[in-house]
Amino acid sequence: MNQKKILYLTVVFWLLIFSGFILFKEYTLRTGTEMILRIEPVDPRDLFRGDYVTLNYEISTLDLEKVQAEDTHFEYNDRIYLALELENGYGMVKKIYKNPPDDELYIKGKVKELIYDWEEDEDGLIAEEPQIKELRVEYGIESYFVPEGKGLEIESQQWTGRERVDVKVVVDKYGKAVIKSLLIDGEELKI
Amino acid sequence: MFDEDMIQRWVDEGTINNDQAEKMRADLAEYKKEHRSKKQVIAFSTIGAILIGIGAILFVASNWEKLGDSIKVLLLVGSTIGIHYAGYHFKYENQKYPRLGPALILLSALLFGASLFLIAQIYNINANNSTLVLIWVIGVLPLVYGYMSAPVAGLCSLLFYIWVSLLYFERTELEKLISIWDLYLMSGIAVYFIGILHGLAEKIKYAETPFKFIGLQAALFALFVHTFELGEYFADKIVPAIYAVLGVLFLAVLLSKPLRERLKGFQADASISIIALLMAGITLTTIYLPASEKTYMIIFNVIFLVLLTLLLYAGYNMEDIGIVSTAMFWFILLIFARYFDFFWELLPRSLFFMLGGLVLLVISIVLERKRRELKVQFSGGEQ
Repeated sequence: MNQKKILYLTVVFWLLIFSGFILFKEYTLRTGTEMILRIEPVDPRDLFRGDYVTLNYEISTLDLEKVQAEDTHFEYNDRIYLALELENGYGMVKKIYKNPPDDELYIKGKVKELIYDWEEDEDGLIAEEPQIKELRVEYGIESYFVPEGKGLEIESQQWTGRERVDVKVVVDKYGKAVIKSLLIDGEELKI
Repeated sequence: MFDEDMIQRWVDEGTINNDQAEKMRADLAEYKKEHRSKKQVIAFSTIGAILIGIGAILFVASNWEKLGDSIKVLLLVGSTIGIHYAGYHFKYENQKYPRLGPALILLSALLFGASLFLIAQIYNINANNSTLVLIWVIGVLPLVYGYMSAPVAGLCSLLFYIWVSLLYFERTELEKLISIWDLYLMSGIAVYFIGILHGLAEKIKYAETPFKFIGLQAALFALFVHTFELGEYFADKIVPAIYAVLGVLFLAVLLSKPLRERLKGFQADASISIIALLMAGITLTTIYLPASEKTYMIIFNVIFLVLLTLLLYAGYNMEDIGIVSTAMFWFILLIFARYFDFFWELLPRSLFFMLGGLVLLVISIVLERKRRELKVQFSGGEQ
């Protein structure tokens, strides 16, 4: 293969990666359902992409005593499909599935932590087999990148408790989610 | 390559006359000057490319709000493609700047990563995502072979370690299988072996040194960390198996005479294979007969010292100043670390620092003198 061909192939390969990436995310943004999710932010830093706000959603922790689940046996890294229903624009938890549900709005996530609950007898021994109490789930929308220094500002707004911070996300029919914007007291954050 | 001593010997033997000797000396001086200047151009252009690449990544990280997302993407992707073309042009079409071309190709590989992270930032893809680094490696690896780029081979090895680290922290189940330092050591040995494989084929021999160099540094770094008291040492059954497979792969290449003869650093390669097999034994023993923290510290200090000695021997035998300098650098670090460990609480601190400083000065003078002697010897008089 001559060098000119290698040049063209490299450029095409790179453009395919860039445009594939963009198209993949734009598909979700343009075809998905918009909803708002409640969060609690903090301000760490990414190695290559600078300041970001870590988004801890209400749906990041699923209490199995309160949320209905198709199957209550879960393992670390299990794929789950969380069915949601819209209430005044907010995405509210409906049911946890292990396979994509038909005709329901759902978001795809991965189990990252299992919290167990067990009862001890008088001797301090575990009486029954521990039951899973809570699931910590990641949906791939846990980071929101902000200009340098802005992360702390957003975090402080949250901690003072005066303003509510939410996230507007778009979820497509395959359960893939993309963040659209951060909302401070219902207003889109302009950065 | 001949040197001053050889020319003088030929004159003394009567092989050449004084005029011929003078001509040879002049040509030799000219060659050395030209060679030095080529090396300087390569060094400056590569450092320049790395600095611009880091600047572009920092630009992405600053998330500058004055420019819109689409403009930023167009600007960065456009620069990546443009600089890549310029690199190709200078390397293959316009032969006036043959040494600038490879540096620009390296820069385009760095900008490719910056562009990728910019797009990931715009769509808020989760932070510290290992997959992005893997895509970066996959995206630029073809340049190593398409353009015979040794610097991009070095970049790929470095990115490989970043990917390994991010993956380890992302997949918490890995913590139960292997310690991060064993994972680094294993990856270092594996990258070194990839270097060996490149050395076997004439067409891709240029990538042998960068893979071996980065692999060696990673392996030495991981072993160096092991020389400290790290707490409980553990390994799953898969760990000795992987070390053993790596050791066997090394042996398969090194024990075969026709393959071995194609390699330029047999002794150094053998040293790394010994480490792989030794680690297979240590991790296997750890599973069935775990020892105390202190015992592991002593074992790893001995292994590290033995490896450095083997590398010094290999570097001296192969007349490779890179290996000698690497071994000496890690030797100084080891002495420094152990000096802190053993004397920090035994001596009053002022005395500790004065004595430490003196010891280090003496060691550095001795090592530098030795290194310079070796360099002169290896390069036939060139300093």
